[in-house]
Amino acid sequence: MKRREFGGMAVSALALTAMPFSVSADETCQSPYMPMITGHEEYVYIWTLGVEGMGDEQDKMVTVDLRPNSDTRGQVINSVSVGGRNEAHHAGFNSDRRYLWAGGLDTNRIFIFDVHSDPSKPSLHKTIDSFVKDSGGCVGPHTFFALPGRMMITGLSNDEDHGGRTALVEYNDDGEYVATYWMPTADDMQGAVAADGAVADGYGYDVRALIRKNIMLTSSFTGWSNYMMDFGQMLGDAEAMKRFGGTMVQWDLHTRQPKKVFSVPGAPLEVRFPWGPNANYAFSTTALTSKLWLIYEDDAGEWQAKAVADIGNPADIPLPVDISLAADDQTLWINSFMDGTTRLFDVSDPHNPKQIYEKKIASQVNMVSQSWDGERVYYTSSLLGNWDKKGADDAQYLKAYKWNGSELVDDFEIDFYEAQLGRAHLMRFGSAALYS
Amino acid sequence: MMGRACLRALVLTGVVLHPASARAQSATDLATTTRGPATQLTPQPGSAGLPTPIDPASCSKSDGDWAERALIRSQVPQLGLPPMPHPDDNPPTAAKIELGRKLFFDRRLSINKTMSCAMCHVPEQAFTTWKLQSAVGVEGRSVKRNSPTLLNVGFLNPLFHDGRDETLETQFIAPLVARNEMANPSAGWVVSFLNRDSTYHARFQGAFGAPASLDRMGQALAAYQRSLLAGNAPFDRWHYGGEADALSPAQKRGFELFTGKADCAGCHPIGDDHALFTDQAFHDTGYGFLREEMRQNPPETTRVQLAPGVFVDVDFDRVASVSSKREADLGRYEITEDPADRWKFRTPGLRNVAMTGPYMHDGGFNTLREVLDFYNEGGPGHPEQSPLVYPLGLSDAELGDLEAFLESLTSPNLNCLAAEARSQPPDNH
Repeated sequence: MKRREFGGMAVSALALTAMPFSVSADETCQSPYMPMITGHEEYVYIWTLGVEGMGDEQDKMVTVDLRPNSDTRGQVINSVSVGGRNEAHHAGFNSDRRYLWAGGLDTNRIFIFDVHSDPSKPSLHKTIDSFVKDSGGCVGPHTFFALPGRMMITGLSNDEDHGGRTALVEYNDDGEYVATYWMPTADDMQGAVAADGAVADGYGYDVRALIRKNIMLTSSFTGWSNYMMDFGQMLGDAEAMKRFGGTMVQWDLHTRQPKKVFSVPGAPLEVRFPWGPNANYAFSTTALTSKLWLIYEDDAGEWQAKAVADIGNPADIPLPVDISLAADDQTLWINSFMDGTTRLFDVSDPHNPKQIYEKKIASQVNMVSQSWDGERVYYTSSLLGNWDKKGADDAQYLKAYKWNGSELVDDFEIDFYEAQLGRAHLMRFGSAALYS
Repeated sequence: MMGRACLRALVLTGVVLHPASARAQSATDLATTTRGPATQLTPQPGSAGLPTPIDPASCSKSDGDWAERALIRSQVPQLGLPPMPHPDDNPPTAAKIELGRKLFFDRRLSINKTMSCAMCHVPEQAFTTWKLQSAVGVEGRSVKRNSPTLLNVGFLNPLFHDGRDETLETQFIAPLVARNEMANPSAGWVVSFLNRDSTYHARFQGAFGAPASLDRMGQALAAYQRSLLAGNAPFDRWHYGGEADALSPAQKRGFELFTGKADCAGCHPIGDDHALFTDQAFHDTGYGFLREEMRQNPPETTRVQLAPGVFVDVDFDRVASVSSKREADLGRYEITEDPADRWKFRTPGLRNVAMTGPYMHDGGFNTLREVLDFYNEGGPGHPEQSPLVYPLGLSDAELGDLEAFLESLTSPNLNCLAAEARSQPPDNH
């Protein structure tokens, strides 16, 4: 799909959401139900892990100024500490984009920040500390995916054995529990079918939806015991390494019923649907086996999954982590943690992606977010508190680049350790223009 | 110090990679929690992988008062087990057992409300964890020891791999406040929480006629754990019950080896009328020394499973880049500070051993065959190694018979113990 086609799609999306916003710039991997930011992103909110012996040692939501003409551009202008180290990980706006929900994979607390009253200074609006009890045993709130008036949350684990069996959990925008949908397993497929002999493992990680196809996709990672433990210890623990997800699940978006289980071995993580009106596919990457996967609708209208490219040299375990699909669906940024490298793939033919660029960002890299026009790309460093590199390689940062079409050009960076903030993880963009 | 080449040779004898299919592995894994249909509790004889999951739903005794059944169980010996020694000042009652179960599963009894006793002693995994070699505590902090099974723990004295405590009434305090386990700021802080909670207030009053205290907390936990009894295994029915067909020919041959050529019974004794399969003593088998050598001289590569059937050898430097420094483990010495106790660990009981892997004090062996291979090799042979460990010269067939015998020690009631454990969901805030 070409960029000009996207313009029409964005307008359509806006019309669907019926929100009073009129713009076409945003990070590209958000829920299509939420409104878009006008113009240049003004702030980036960074969900940051507290570190023992550093600053106030607490998890915090850090706000960095991105306004082009601001005197404080590229600086931390606000930080809200939430108490404790909760294994801060992912966050997502609700469907009207007035609140940012941020989860703790360890303590299961969900912090809801008000980002509309003063977008330059988020405040803690509400804390949900009953997620495990509400959900009937789901542990590790991970992805926060906005549905109209609702928040769909993926879990990673459970309160019985801290293994990988888990659920989707739905709340309403007021933070009230709605429902739990346990992931299908081979013993209880809940009506889903297994594609090509896939064995439903019941694991979870990310969730994304393709609204016009009424499809929701989930991926699978690992349970609390693994994502909380020392990475090196886990690599040497043969039993622990057996406990990674190897499936993706196609759901009926409206009924929340699982429909089909795909075999995607090696821990498929982020899920990204394109924006194009005829783009009936999604990408994911497998962390352990270092492959780019395509989940697509075939000519017969059936959804399928296949590996379409290697990411780096899989034998080196680059560990692909976050991905960011350009708004025109033509390119895909893929970060790999172990080699600290970002790679750009040409995905104009989604069945035959080609790497066209790579750059080492630092000793380690995790998250990547790009502006809606693709001209600004932001990186943060932390994967998980006990998985990050040790010693001098434990670089913790926000790095901003400009993408000129052929290379990433340094813009600014913030050393999160030097600033005594902690480990920088998920980024979400904010703008006062949303609420004016 | 042992030479690196020699060390590696020994290590390799203990490493068995299992080309388990993706389907078998996933199916095993996913069935280890209770949310799913019934699965039979049947150890797979000769299986080199994980045991068949323990499914609470397969227990037929779901009616009536489970705590009353547990009380009776803790008072009436099962075939192959001795009478449970209850302390005079802590006779069991159903109320104590029920309270102890609740405390055992309460995730709120850790500083950040994520860890209970049961997160490392999982009922569906024979009250240990099959999923980790060594335990992980609050905030993911590493514990250097494997979680021991709590089946028949009431018979053990001393407790812990290094014997640091002697009674269940006091044992719980260590994990309750250990920074890398439940990390409570103090034991008194936990007691205060219990006394503020109206449900606990009523339960303590019902069990003791008094509010919560550290002593009463320990008594309740001990009463519950002393009810986790599992005898009446096929071996018991054959050896003590006179059922000639309770064991297979291979298992009977394994018994002869266990008590004869392999000399396992020297440390894992079998009595005339019961067997705990432990001498309750500390031995330097050479394994602790071997693991310390590995810690100091790590192998150049680590074999890592990326997906079922997909393995890569990862350079040590890459593993080290994401590894915290692993602590040394000197075993009993850490309690006594007597140099003679270096690398000594308490002999574990072998009941239900087929269901309690991974094995050894740090979970370094994933299968029984790896353990048997280690002892068949005779350990590393360092000067302090116990003379009870020496090369056995067992053939593959004999090792197979020994493994078959060990599988005959699995009790039939593990599913019901798990069902009782899951009589109520874990407490969360």
